[in-house]
Amino acid sequence: MARLASIDELHSLQKSLAAERRPSPIIIIPAGTCGQASGANDLIRIARREILKLRLTRKLRLRVTGCHGFCELEPSVLVLPRGTFYPKVTMANMARIVAAVAEDRILKDLLYVDEKGQTIERQEDIPFFKGQTRTLLARGEQVDPIRIETYLEAGGYSSLASVLLRRDPTWVIEEVKSSGLRGRGGAGFPTGLKWELLARQKKTRKFLVCNADEGDPGAYMDRSVLEGNPHSILEGMLIGAFATGATEGVVYVRAEYPLAIRNLRVALRQAREFGLLGDNILGTGFSFDIDLVQGAGAFVCGEETALIASIEGRTGEPRQRPPYPVQKGIEGQPTAINNVETWANVSAMIKMGAAQFAAIGTTGNTGTKIFSLVGKIKNTGLVEVPMGIKIKDIIYDIGGGPVEDIKIKAVQTGGPSGGCIPAKSFDLPVSYDSLMKAGSIMGSGGMIVMDERTCMVDVAKYFMSFLKDESCGKCFTCRKGTQRMYEILEDISKGKGTFDQLDLLEELANTVKDTTMCGLGQSAPNPVLSTLRYFREECERHVWDKKCDAHVCKDLVGAPCQSACPAGTEAWRYVAHIRRGEYEEAYRVIREANPFPSVCSRVCNHPCEEHCRAGEHGGEAIAIRALKRFVTDRVDPSSYRPLRTGYPDANSPRVAIIGSGPAGLTAAHHLSLRGYRSTIFEQAAKPGGMLYSAIPAYRLPPDVIRKEIESILDENIEVRCNAALGRDFTIDSLQSDGYKAVLIAIGAHKSLRLGLPGEDTPGIYPSIEFLRAFNTGGFALARGHVGVVGGGNSAVDAARMALRQKEVKTVTLFYRRTRAEMPAFAEEIEAAIEEGVILESLVTPMRILAKDGRLTGVEFLRNKLGPRDAGGRPQPEALPGTEFTASLDTLIVAISEGSDTDCIRAASSSLIEMSKSGTVNTDPATLLTNRTGVFAAGDVVTGPNTVIDAVAAGKKAAVMIDRYLSGTTLRQPGTARLPHIYVEPMGPPGDGNGNGHRARVPHVDVEARRRSFAEVDGTLSTEDARREAGRCLRCDLEFTQPTKTKAEAPVVEGVAL
Amino acid sequence: MITLKINGLNVTVEEGTTVLEAAKFLGFPIPTLCHMEGLSPYGACRLCVVEIGESPKSRLVSSCTYPAEAGLIVRTSSARVVKARKMVIELLLGTCPQSKVIQDLASEHGVRQQRFRQEHEDCILCGLCVRMCSEQMMAHAIGFRGRGEHRSLGTPFDVKSEVCRLCGGCIYVCPACQLRCTYNQPEKAICGGCGNLEPPCVEKPQFDDMMCYMTPCVACEIKKD
Repeated sequence: MARLASIDELHSLQKSLAAERRPSPIIIIPAGTCGQASGANDLIRIARREILKLRLTRKLRLRVTGCHGFCELEPSVLVLPRGTFYPKVTMANMARIVAAVAEDRILKDLLYVDEKGQTIERQEDIPFFKGQTRTLLARGEQVDPIRIETYLEAGGYSSLASVLLRRDPTWVIEEVKSSGLRGRGGAGFPTGLKWELLARQKKTRKFLVCNADEGDPGAYMDRSVLEGNPHSILEGMLIGAFATGATEGVVYVRAEYPLAIRNLRVALRQAREFGLLGDNILGTGFSFDIDLVQGAGAFVCGEETALIASIEGRTGEPRQRPPYPVQKGIEGQPTAINNVETWANVSAMIKMGAAQFAAIGTTGNTGTKIFSLVGKIKNTGLVEVPMGIKIKDIIYDIGGGPVEDIKIKAVQTGGPSGGCIPAKSFDLPVSYDSLMKAGSIMGSGGMIVMDERTCMVDVAKYFMSFLKDESCGKCFTCRKGTQRMYEILEDISKGKGTFDQLDLLEELANTVKDTTMCGLGQSAPNPVLSTLRYFREECERHVWDKKCDAHVCKDLVGAPCQSACPAGTEAWRYVAHIRRGEYEEAYRVIREANPFPSVCSRVCNHPCEEHCRAGEHGGEAIAIRALKRFVTDRVDPSSYRPLRTGYPDANSPRVAIIGSGPAGLTAAHHLSLRGYRSTIFEQAAKPGGMLYSAIPAYRLPPDVIRKEIESILDENIEVRCNAALGRDFTIDSLQSDGYKAVLIAIGAHKSLRLGLPGEDTPGIYPSIEFLRAFNTGGFALARGHVGVVGGGNSAVDAARMALRQKEVKTVTLFYRRTRAEMPAFAEEIEAAIEEGVILESLVTPMRILAKDGRLTGVEFLRNKLGPRDAGGRPQPEALPGTEFTASLDTLIVAISEGSDTDCIRAASSSLIEMSKSGTVNTDPATLLTNRTGVFAAGDVVTGPNTVIDAVAAGKKAAVMIDRYLSGTTLRQPGTARLPHIYVEPMGPPGDGNGNGHRARVPHVDVEARRRSFAEVDGTLSTEDARREAGRCLRCDLEFTQPTKTKAEAPVVEGVAL
Repeated sequence: MITLKINGLNVTVEEGTTVLEAAKFLGFPIPTLCHMEGLSPYGACRLCVVEIGESPKSRLVSSCTYPAEAGLIVRTSSARVVKARKMVIELLLGTCPQSKVIQDLASEHGVRQQRFRQEHEDCILCGLCVRMCSEQMMAHAIGFRGRGEHRSLGTPFDVKSEVCRLCGGCIYVCPACQLRCTYNQPEKAICGGCGNLEPPCVEKPQFDDMMCYMTPCVACEIKKD
């Protein structure tokens, strides 16, 4: 190709290229580094082969481009002009796609399927793409990076031509200034201003640099632009050179981007061949050439002065500014450095005009920004969004929300120099200034999503580890400061941290921020500072309680099943015993930690299984609850004799416990073991509390509760039934009766009301009352057509329970959002629907209809899903005019439960502090209320909660009351509960089950259980149980294996600290 | 000539003067470790930080490398500077506790604690020796290697340098090489009494075979408190 000698020649070439283009479909295969890694090269090979084989070369075209952004679904294929998008294409399917495109067909089975199971054909209709404004990324779809013709055909270098035609550098600078374009490298310096400063420098040699030293972990937008559309960067630099009078250009790209380097080299050569680079560009007399410099991979070389040093061949160390590079840069000559994305934006901006560019985004933050959205999110990939978009829109709409429905906790922006933004601030608009204010930075655009299983201490530690290696080491405070911050964070993650160290960490971080020379050092403490700012509580949990709630810090977690259990049950241990056939041993292990083994084996929400390592990375967690059930069904409780540490005598102080639910009984039991006498006051006729009020019989037969309670009660525990707080006794009367400590554990027995007039009409029951009436007295309250309002577990329980009652015809569950948003367990909803419960979603009750003092129906209003709240949950929005009436004979209200706190108010002379939601305020560390000697535990403190949490609270209350009565400090630091008993494994861990599938618990089938109150879940067979136990990975062995030398304490030279 | 304001006083200096030199001209003391007249400014130790500009946009810069600018407002011992400087000294102490120079600095600035895990490095990477070697001795025998926590000083590939003349200039300028009196305190404690001339603790049994030439040792003073 001959050089283009003038601008006209460029235009005529563009025209002729466009004229040659046949209106045939194009198959586009994105083959950036990410695409190639996931198999795009194979697709290209097969596509070529098929096109030749089927003689389609004149009928369709194949285009290989850079990455389009949807990394999660690579390798993908895009077919234009229809815009059909095929995700995760296999080699076999590629051949089918070629054939289908030739016949203008769509392969429905290969299309993208969204969350709701609908197939979406066109790329732009897919939610991931729909929410974006793809100015730069969409251009990449038009261009084969190693064929300049495709770039020219798509209108490339027209912006340069239009700039050259005007012959007015100041116009370009004014245009850039009025577009409001700011540097995309992170700091957001106005590009126009930088260029103006460079243009003012009176030197004959001036440099322009494209900073492509992209080094943030988890960020790769520059790479994708470099790989996919290198000419757009060259064009941007040419425009910049014309505007500023720069004579030489440098692209500084890291050597770890081989494909980007190759494509850039090709692009530079082609541009020179076409006369678009070099001397006398397009015959206008304007000359500019660009050189390529490869960086050796030091993160700090992204800092401009270090980058200049590196280009000059010196060690990549920053130096003091001023003088700024724009005054004194490469070889002492004025130099302007801009990021890849900025350069790419320049050509795009000139093309669309400054006014239109400025219209995108918000004032002061114009245009679009590419983010690499990675981490614990469904749709990972590159997203290009207008500035000012809210974080929640990126995460929940484009990103598709969390993986596996684990709550998203924070998002980290800006890489190692950035910070974490907590989920509660997801309303924040993404712009340079707002992120800075929130303690993070825009950075080059990395966005790492973290969920509840990400430990923030660990994240900060990771970034510090990165920075201590990547600091250049020149500034003492940066080099040593990052090392010391890492050291402290490591101490904290190992449970050796102190509160003093937390303060020191903060002080040090602030000093490092203040006293270092370059941007790296000044922003290096950001991960630490933002963690301390937003997640200080989590850090303090590590320091004081020695707990890592995300189950990441190994030295605090031990075996995750054990640390996940609120009561600290050594699940690994009893599973190991089951494997060995030692069932009584297993029972003892369970019973030691939890006085309600049979209850929990049926109704526990099993946090142990949620955190089981066998369940990570697509595996299936060990069925720990089913194994517990297996043991408790088989072993007689009498085989366990609890270990007593104290025996009461005549002078032992007595404890009053109000409420005989799991929290109260557990506290009484553990107090008894410690040698205290206690009296339990129960309002109802028999002890059991919430166990009777909140759990349906088909899940937990009342008999099981009764037996379990009988096995707990002993001579130290006196139960007084039919004694209600406020009516029969008060907290003052208890204290004057000589009870030295009082524990309030009355549960949450009060269903919240709908707040509609006529709610006391007969036929309307709160779910608690409804369940309790049956469990304790066998009264079936429901009849006819039954409606249940609510979407939580108690609503589903009530619905399933109602279905089983004799006089019931139908049961309908009314919920204000959709099934996907229901807080109840998915398997419970599934079972309810299987049994015949009708789900009516997106409705709100408006009016209660009654006739002759009896409920006849309820009027509902339909909703639609509205915008999301900061937590990502869509809010229901009423649709006026959609009222409808459901005729109902019974309505069960199960929207939420609270405590009957009126009785507490009535029963204490000095007010016991309560929260707004009606729970008792306690010091979470000591469970002490504001009244001396009065403790509270269980649902009355937390609101409706699980059995195992109540058991844990009861245990803790016993410890606290013991400390209180014996006069020791209540508040004591926690200890990490690590496995310490060695149970010899049978066979290698994880062995025992060839196919590795989780044991299935036998169920009573739907037909049989629909009208029966009998228990639904069965017990595992011995064979199944032992096989299941054999699947355990035995995380404990790491800590207990006797051959392993004890983890060496870190050697501290000289002194013991 | 440029006029700038240091601690409220106007000073007029030649263009190209650093803030450190301007402050010295006025007699304001600014501690330094990596700065030495005759060697090029480097800005590694961060001890010489001063606050420039006006709040809330003020910031800390190293005065040894920051050029004097017309109208610049400088504070050499504002609360922010002092706080940062103390932390830098504490960090230095944690790294190089045996250095007499650093001990003296700690003593001078009232740093009485060291909360980091004690290290015993013999180098703070201030780079004085490197500059001495290349700028004054014209040898270029030693230099920095690696980055981050792996940064170290030495000859290329740790091979004995052919250009080194064993002049000893590197050792002469080193602030970390001089050892301190350790007294009978645990190493974590900071002896800061190195401005003293007479032996304070010879009578003490632990010190019968040790020479200490300072009195009254601040270590003892601290102990009295």
